[in-house]
Amino acid sequence: MRNTDRFRLFGDHGMGAVVADLVDTIAGMGRLSRRQAYRLRLAADEITTNIAEHGYHGRRGVVDIEGGVDDDWAWLHIQDNAPPFDPRGHCPGGVPETMHEGGYGLFIAFTGIDHFAYDYFDGRNRNTLLVRRPADAPDGGTDDRHRAAGR
Amino acid sequence: MSFQATVQSAQGVVTFRLSGELDSRSAPRFHEMITQAVLPAARRLVLQMADLSYMSSAGLRCLVYAHQRAGSGVAIELVGTRPEVAETIRLTGFDRSLTMLEAGARP
Repeated sequence: MRNTDRFRLFGDHGMGAVVADLVDTIAGMGRLSRRQAYRLRLAADEITTNIAEHGYHGRRGVVDIEGGVDDDWAWLHIQDNAPPFDPRGHCPGGVPETMHEGGYGLFIAFTGIDHFAYDYFDGRNRNTLLVRRPADAPDGGTDDRHRAAGR
Repeated sequence: MSFQATVQSAQGVVTFRLSGELDSRSAPRFHEMITQAVLPAARRLVLQMADLSYMSSAGLRCLVYAHQRAGSGVAIELVGTRPEVAETIRLTGFDRSLTMLEAGARP
């Protein structure tokens, strides 16, 4: 089973609420735990904020975010048209030395999810965020216990 | 949920009460509050966190800024921090620079 929900954002600080709503939906579909939902939202927030601030340098730009679930994973694809940028090359291996490096958000993003992937295809950056679904999570439906990505 | 913050200062103790979501959009406002409220005379910073439901790295940077602005000799106490928010703080090791207390531990 594969469910998707998709939004097209225009990169600015207002997109955090849209990201949160989408993650709430995906968390419900995938029956993620509260902690998983929160961490997925945090990761998506950090990635999209990084795109807006560093990819587009505060200017408006398209950010597409799409999410869904399959048998094992809840996933998000976050794509943008900014210059090629692989976040994995800008995240310290450990906790950053200072909070001003900009790597702190990416560190939090990568640490909070089960898998992160990046590719650049057809002029677009694509970030893939994966969270492993709980073993007892059936497909589909929503449950208020799981719609809790910080709300 | 939108971010809300209040601050009061008495006898060298600066107390912030935070609620809602502290992210890249709301962090500049909180940063400015810290600049205005955290003065050299501060002896202790208390942040009431029980109603703060979400905090991104932008919010975390505000806490670090408060710590830097107050100076190393000033104690910082976070009260009633929710588990998910506390986990973000611990993930970065910043919890070693402050004290995290249960809700109700400070007025």
